[in-house]
Amino acid sequence: MMQSKPDLGRRALVLVPYGWLAVFFLMPFLLVLAISLSSVRLGMPPYEPLYAWQGSLLSIRLNLENFVFVLGENTYLLAYLTSLKVAAISTALMLAIAYPLAYGIASCSPGSRSFLIFLVIVPFWSSMLIRVYAWMSILRNDGLLNSLLLNLGIISEPLRIMNTETAIYIGIVYTYLPFMVLPIYANLSASDRTLIEAARDLGCSRIAAFWRVTFPLSLRGVAAGCALVFIPVIGEFVVPDLLGGADTQMIGRTIWIEFFNNRDWPVASAVTVLLLVILVIPIVLFQTRLSRTSK
Amino acid sequence: MLQSYVSIENLSKSFGLFSAVDDVSIGIGKGEFFSLLGPSGCGKSTLLRMIAGFETPTSGVVRLDGDEVTDVPAHRRPTNMMFQSYALFPHLSVGKNIAFGLQQDRLASGEIRQRVSEVAEKLQLTALLDRKPQQLSGGQRQRVALARALVKRPKVLLLDEPLGALDKNLRTETQHELVRLQRELGLTFIIVTHDQHEAMTVSSRIAIMRQGKVLQIGSPAEVYETPVSRYVAKFLGEANVFEGGSARRSGNELKIESAEAGGSVLATASDHISTNGRYWVSVRPERVELSKQGTGLEGVIEQFSYAGAGRHYRVRLKSGATLDARRVNSGAQDDLSVGDTVFASWMPQAARLLAD
Repeated sequence: MMQSKPDLGRRALVLVPYGWLAVFFLMPFLLVLAISLSSVRLGMPPYEPLYAWQGSLLSIRLNLENFVFVLGENTYLLAYLTSLKVAAISTALMLAIAYPLAYGIASCSPGSRSFLIFLVIVPFWSSMLIRVYAWMSILRNDGLLNSLLLNLGIISEPLRIMNTETAIYIGIVYTYLPFMVLPIYANLSASDRTLIEAARDLGCSRIAAFWRVTFPLSLRGVAAGCALVFIPVIGEFVVPDLLGGADTQMIGRTIWIEFFNNRDWPVASAVTVLLLVILVIPIVLFQTRLSRTSK
Repeated sequence: MLQSYVSIENLSKSFGLFSAVDDVSIGIGKGEFFSLLGPSGCGKSTLLRMIAGFETPTSGVVRLDGDEVTDVPAHRRPTNMMFQSYALFPHLSVGKNIAFGLQQDRLASGEIRQRVSEVAEKLQLTALLDRKPQQLSGGQRQRVALARALVKRPKVLLLDEPLGALDKNLRTETQHELVRLQRELGLTFIIVTHDQHEAMTVSSRIAIMRQGKVLQIGSPAEVYETPVSRYVAKFLGEANVFEGGSARRSGNELKIESAEAGGSVLATASDHISTNGRYWVSVRPERVELSKQGTGLEGVIEQFSYAGAGRHYRVRLKSGATLDARRVNSGAQDDLSVGDTVFASWMPQAARLLAD
């Protein structure tokens, strides 16, 4: 009796994340999946019910036409590809910025480390929307950046950054950078300094020791950071909507248009389900490879 | 100190106000198994790290095989280090760990393979080459760390508490293994340890360090038999130390009155120590003879402990001081027990006079 108590507590503790995932992830997803198999109608809700009672007979109608439609339309395919491209390029940009940043912070003294990490996190204390709007006022044709460069005489006419893909990259890299910095920093700051000394002792210059020991050992942090930014960036809506132009259609905006402009919930849901499939397959592959190499 | 293979000259290292190594000079010959021995914080590891090139000396010079290397970075020194934590690369297999240094030197892959398999055979690692360090036992990891350093054929192998993480039996075994390897390869080993038994077992010579300074350098027998100070005498095993008073000389023997011991004790006059100032008499417990009748310092056995190979007695002398004595466990019946009145004595040669 006494022994089973902590066991019960531990089980309850494990149930918490599963419960969370079931209520806040699995159920909404099942709803979206259900809607994607329905067909559109006028009214509230704007889709046909999936099942109906005919006397004592339960009839379920699953409509796959939405998926056929989405897969057959070039617009959607293009939006998927654009999202993947934007996510891939901005992930690469963030990695290039975040790794040296995390490495620099990790090699500081413990006292200044926590202060620097605090500085990385501090933008989160204001709303993301406000920060994106702030970027609009910086990047506008008559914005801060352009007036500064014009006044300094570096450029003679304003740079057109606002409503371009460049603005999207700036916004996304700015918004998501901490998610890349933190896992890499956590990994690097926990690394064993004597391993570097061992590499140096065995003939490595500082640079060689970095590439042969520090970097390979930090790959887990890099992978975690990439996953943490790549996945949400694919579905990102706010930044491309506010900073981007009409020519860069990402999937998040496509879903928004289907839901709210076209009020075609079934098609919007089908786009969402396909997006999830696109994202889940590489993650599962990655996870199985990771668990195999760590064995 | 002329023609030393490793020559440490007036080496000092301070961290802020703290002086970790303070004006140390040591000469180590080629093929020596040299120990830096001392309690933690005595500067022995800092000294080793300066030889390896991980710390820059505040002042002084390090020479290896005649060349000054004081400012040569670690990766260009002909030394290799075996780390206390072993510092094996967790992302590489045992084979790749061992080959790491050779690959860095850009040797041909055929030669790398040959040298790795050679050293692996010597250290019984051949069957483990494809494993990851995490899959090895402590003893196996220790051998990989040793192999990784040895495969580079360093002029000097530096070992920082190499056996600290092993259990006692394996440690004794490995000490003999290290000595055998060192003789076979003819390499110069410098080992850092806080374990006096380990230093005695493996070394050709020992430097005893305390608070950044070297107190004494000598062979295990020299430092044990003729310690230069009370500190060294007590650090290397046990010692009974009594302050000496007036001394009377007859021939080569000294008869010393000691108020602390509560009587007169014997010593030889061969120690070059003036008995006019303060001085001390030191005797090892195993040189003390206890008998129920006779002459010597009178006391009562206060404690007895049976330690397998020996029997330890703690005697409370009449003066109030304690005296430790040890008898070899020869299997004979013990005639002494707690509470017995005994007389402690020793041969004059057993005692050492110390000025500090």
